[in-house]
Parts: sequence; C-alpha cells; structure tokens
Amino acid sequence: MEPEQFQLTFKRIEAEVQKVIVGNQEVIRKVLIAFFSGGHVLLEGVPGLGKTLLVKSLSHALGMSFKRIQFTPDLMPSDIVGTEVLTEANGRREFQFKKGPIFAHVVLADEINRATPKTQSAVLEAMEEKQVTVFGESHILESPFIVLATQNPIELEGTYPLPEAQLDRFFFKLLVTPPVPEELREILKRTTGVETSDSSKVLPEDGGKLVNDMKQLLRQVLIAPPIEDYVVRLVHATHGNGQNGGSAGVKQYIRFGSSPRGAQAVILGAKGNALTDGRVHVSYEDVEKIIYPALRHRIILNFQAEAENVSADQVIAEVMKQVKRN
Amino acid sequence: MSSPNHSPEGERPENLVTHLAARLRNHVLWDSLLIFIPPVLAAVFIAFSVYRAAWMSPLAFLLVVVGLAVVGVLAVILRSRPLVPSVRAAAQLIDGQAESKDRFLTLATLASSAQPANFVARLRQETSRFGERIQFGRDFPYRFKNSFYRSLVVSLAAAILFHFMIPVAGSVIRPVSVQQQLRQVAAKMAQKESLKPLAQELQALAAKLDDPKATPAEKQAAAQEIEKKIEQQMKKEEQKENRDLLSQAANSLKGTEQQQSSSGDEQKKDQDKGGGGIQSNLPQEGKGEGQQNQGGGSDSKGEQSAQMSNDMKQGKSAQGNPKEKGEEKNQQAQGDAKNDQRDPNQPGKEQNQEKVGKTQGASKEGAGKNQSPEEPPQGAPPAERFYKAGEGKEGLKGTGYVTVQLPEDLVADSKAEGKATKDGGKGNRARPQVPVSNAPLPAHVPNAPTEKQQMPIEYRGIIR
Repeated sequence: MEPEQFQLTFKRIEAEVQKVIVGNQEVIRKVLIAFFSGGHVLLEGVPGLGKTLLVKSLSHALGMSFKRIQFTPDLMPSDIVGTEVLTEANGRREFQFKKGPIFAHVVLADEINRATPKTQSAVLEAMEEKQVTVFGESHILESPFIVLATQNPIELEGTYPLPEAQLDRFFFKLLVTPPVPEELREILKRTTGVETSDSSKVLPEDGGKLVNDMKQLLRQVLIAPPIEDYVVRLVHATHGNGQNGGSAGVKQYIRFGSSPRGAQAVILGAKGNALTDGRVHVSYEDVEKIIYPALRHRIILNFQAEAENVSADQVIAEVMKQVKRN
Repeated sequence: MSSPNHSPEGERPENLVTHLAARLRNHVLWDSLLIFIPPVLAAVFIAFSVYRAAWMSPLAFLLVVVGLAVVGVLAVILRSRPLVPSVRAAAQLIDGQAESKDRFLTLATLASSAQPANFVARLRQETSRFGERIQFGRDFPYRFKNSFYRSLVVSLAAAILFHFMIPVAGSVIRPVSVQQQLRQVAAKMAQKESLKPLAQELQALAAKLDDPKATPAEKQAAAQEIEKKIEQQMKKEEQKENRDLLSQAANSLKGTEQQQSSSGDEQKKDQDKGGGGIQSNLPQEGKGEGQQNQGGGSDSKGEQSAQMSNDMKQGKSAQGNPKEKGEEKNQQAQGDAKNDQRDPNQPGKEQNQEKVGKTQGASKEGAGKNQSPEEPPQGAPPAERFYKAGEGKEGLKGTGYVTVQLPEDLVADSKAEGKATKDGGKGNRARPQVPVSNAPLPAHVPNAPTEKQQMPIEYRGIIR
C-alpha cells in the first residue's frame, strides 16, 4: 500500500462519518487514527452529543461488524465476553461457547463507567490481548478490533470510575464538545427534515485486510530521533521529576505520570496524523497535536489539582511549555 | 565572508544541511572574532602606548602582544566551540525557513538504512523540492551582531580614554626627579655666559644628590648654599630670560629641600617601626637643648627644624628674609614657643614634641649665632647619637637617650652658664629653666614655688 492510498481511504471514511456527524472533525479524525493505530478510544461528553451515533456511523463506513454494549450496574462479565451454555444435539449434551458482544470489529461500550469494576475488567483482556478467556479457554478476537467506550462526565451517582489500569488501555481519550450554533443548525437540518442521511460503506468486502495493510503502513512512517527524544522527554516530564518537568507548575498537581503506553500512543498517533496529512515522516507538530488525547487520561492528578480545578490538559500544556523541542 | 551563496538546486538535501552547518559554523567563528578582535587591538594599542612612553621594554611589549594574541585566539575558540550549530540545528533552521515540516531534520538525522526505502526515497524527493526554496545568501546571510558593536564601542572608548590619560598617568606614575630637573636647568643655564658658574654648581649639586655616601645634611647644606647664590644672582640679573632660568633653578632647589625633608620623614618612620623611640625633655626657652633632641629623630618635624637651623646658621633670619620658604612656619613657631612659656606643663607628650620642632627655628633665632657644643660643625659627621640603629663607630643599635634633670644639675648648669658667658659663650650648654621632673625646685630658680617642699623620703633614694 502506498501512502496516497492510505490518505485517500482515510479521507473517504472521514467524509462518510461527517455525513452523519456534524462538527467534531478532530474527534472523528482521531478516532480513525486510533483505529488504524490499533488502539481503543474513550469518548467523554455530556449526553446527546452524538457519541453513539459517531461510533455507529464509523462502523457503517468501515463496513465491519458492530456490537453495542450498554453498560449497567447489573451487567456481568459473561454478558460481554460470552459464556459456556449447555446444548443438546443428537441426544448428547455438551457445553458450547456462546460468544458475547465483544466478538465484533467495532464494539461500542456505552456508558462504560456505569458497570461494576468486575465487569469493566472483563474488557481489559479483550482490549489489550485481543482475546478473551472463558472457562480456561482463550478465544481470539477478530482483527481489526476496536473498543469505543463512552462515558458521561456528569451524573456520577451510581457510577464506577474506570480504574487506572483500564484507562491506560485506551489509546486516546477524546472530549466530545457541544456543537457551535452553525453546527447545531446543520444538525437540525439533517435530522428534522424528511430525508436523513446515513453513512455508506467505504471499505470493500475484504475491508479487514485493507485495514491491516493500512495499520502496517502507519507503523512504517519515519520519525526523526530528535522527535522521538522530544516525546520521551515530554512523557518523562509528566512524572514531575523530568529534566524540565520538575517545576512546581507540574509537580504539585501530578500523582502519577504517564505510562510507557502513553509514549507509544503519542508516537503512533503522530505517525497516523502524518499519514493523514500525506506525509511519510513525523513532525513536531504531529506530536503536539496528538499529545493531549494520548496523555490526558494517563496522567493521574492529585487532590490539589482537583481542589484547584486543574485539568490534565492544563498540566500537559505546562509540560509542553517547559520541554523544549531543541 | 564564509562560504559562497549556494545554489542548492539538484543537490541532495542532506548535503544542503551539511553546507548550512558549515556556513553557520563560519558565522559563529566570525561572531567570536569580531567580538574579541576590538578589545585585543585596543589592548595592543594600550601596550604600545605604554611601550612608547618608555614604561615597558621592547621584549615586554613583544611578550604582551604575543600574550594578547594567544588570549584572543583562546577566547575565540572557547566562545565559538559551544555555539557551533549541529547538523540537527542546521536542519531545523532550514525547515523553519522552507516550512518543510521537519523534513530536513528527519532526513539529516535518520539512519536511512534501517528505514523503508520507499519512504526514505519519497521523503528525499519531497525535501529536495523544499530545498529549492532555500538560498543561503538570502535566507542565511551573515549579520553583524549587537555584541560586535558593543565590543567595538567599549574597545574604542577604552583606547581613546587611555590615549588621553597616559600623559596624566605619566606624570603621576613617574615624575621627573629633582636631580634631572637640576640637570636640565643647568644645561640651559650653561648656554648663558653669565650663568655658567652657577650651572656648574648645579651640576655638582645634582651629582651630590645622586651620591649615596653624602648625608642628607650635606646635601641640604649644598642646596641651600647654591640657592643663596642664585638669589644673589637674581638680584644682579637684568635679563628676564636669565631671571626665569634662575627662578626655575630656585624652584628645583626647593624641590630638593622637600625631597630631603621627606627622606627625613621616611627615616623617622623607619625608626618608629623599629620601636626605637626616644623621649626627650621639653625645651621651654629654646636655647639649644632642643637641638640635641631633634637630631635623635624622635619628633616628627625634626628634619624640617634641622633645615631651619641650617638656615639660621648661614645667617638667614626668617624675619629678615620674608621671601624665603618657611617664614610663616617660623613665625608660627615663635608663637608656639610663647604659648609654651605660658603653660609649660601642658599635658600631652606628642603635642609637646610637636611643639619642640616648631620651636626650633624660634629658639635658634633667639640664640643668635651661638652654636651648641653638641651640634656638629658644618660638614662634619654627626654625633653618634644621631645615627640610626646599627650605624656609627660602636654600632649603636636601637639606642635612644633621655635627659633627666635634677635640681642639682640645674644649679650646676646655672653656675657653668655664668662661667661660659664670661668665657665668651664657649662650651655653653643651654638648659631649660623649668624642669620637667616633679622634684622641688631650688630657691634660685625663677619659677620655683615660694614655699619649700620636703622631698618625700621614699623618693630620695630613687632620685639620687
């Protein structure tokens, strides 16, 4: 595959999703980057912003299998990964594995923070290992596989915030913002008229192979050692004890810095961003565009940050201010 | 200035980065040179000025110039080495200029062999297109930095300042010696027929001043003798030019006196440092006793009073010659002496000692031409007690003297004084009439108390 083909395919999928979703172009773009990077996305936003619609539109555009799991407090892990059920065939009873909704290319984990931690943890193995184990038997998930989870930042009663280990499995955490008036006008036009548009399938029948090729291409994108070094310094600085991150502006708000997965996410995301721009190399700008969604859920802020209403994005901005490109 | 303007068309982008790095290295080198050349040149100029003013030998000047050059080279190297831009920095500069989104940086720093060939080829192709936008002469010209202008201004200011300061400094640092002044004046005077003898005498005086064997007193005496002759000559002289020359000579001779007096002060300071202080009793009427004391160098104005004494010996009266230097001092000294008479027991030893010196002139004046028997004749070596520590025949070291007066001595002195007056003043030794001891005065002493006091028994043995 050539970079131009990647860019073309990417743009077509993006355009198809944008037929349904108005605004939030950056969210769509980054969801696609995460998809082609092999990562999962946590979408955060208040209800009614089109998070679920975005995921459904994406799955339609990709032409891949799509399953939705509505996370509730009584949801059990077996409801997600599947379970062994006793079946009778030819007078013989046997246990047969019944696949759960996790067995799909695109999985929407809607309101993931409403399920218990036990159920939340059920998707950990699936997200990281691309497999599930039921009654000691491992079942490989089909590739490509992406979990798109949504969560509501309000209505926190009866919710279970995702543990750090779970959060770290998400490639990006994207914030879905309310539409601006022009976007809202367009939304109304599209949804309240006679005809409603829907995304059409972009990828061919063997879309899975194409997606895997695109994933491989993305990993070949060139990155200069100074830019890699820049990413390393940035991630290290989020711990508050880096070369330039030890200042009070960062250190006083951070409980834990980013894990190595954060650095991986930044590099892969930057490569994806470069390819979508038609480049075969990563630039500093790519890194700076990707670092917020890649690190914001991996930096664990302390009580002081919460008390002073300091967000992870503000801490990242401070880190970027302190760590020079050189 | 550095490398010629490149036409990067068709050149590999990696080479473009390398060329720019070299060009920037030259820029840094020029920056450093331009910063350090002005101060080095200014320093060389200053060194040359010093050399021209004969304060520095040619070898020293050469060494200074070589040293400055070495320091300059070291400074340039030390400054420019850390500032030399790396290939990465050069690539980033080109990226910034060509807006190529880090293509040059990636290409210049990436190990191409480990990367997908098609991606590298594509990147090189893209970068070459961006490279066409770059013209070194236009995009990376050499510009003089502010540091150069600052360095230039400061160096120029320093050189100009030094240029104007050196004549002033010359007179301060190395003033012309009195001997040289005398020789110069003598040389001018030798051209005048009427002043030739005086010129020869001035030359002789200059030679004598240089002679380490001659004592300060001898030098002083010789200077004063010539000064007197010059004054006489000035009275005779009618030509203004000659009179100017004579006044120059007189001024130089005054310088000689100052030099001699300052050397006397230095001797005194040396003695003080050695701890050999000498205490003397206080002369009240100034009849010769003070001369013994002043020779010891115990008082701070001993030398000056010695000069004045010499003047007096040569018949110069301070009042009789109003133009002569030290007239006011002498008059003041007289006044002081009178004050001393009114309050002979004024406390404060140093104050009293100071007054001793001031009193000398007046006391000599009062004594007329009577010469103390202890005063050395003119030209003769001084008495042993006038020598400094370690000098003299017996090698007196750190010795001082003290005069203790007892009432019996005063009686004996008064008798001897009466005899000496009859003998024409020979061997007369002046004593102050008011003793400084606390012993009761005999009845015949003028200022003695009317009532007789018994000497305490416990003191008798000690005083005897």
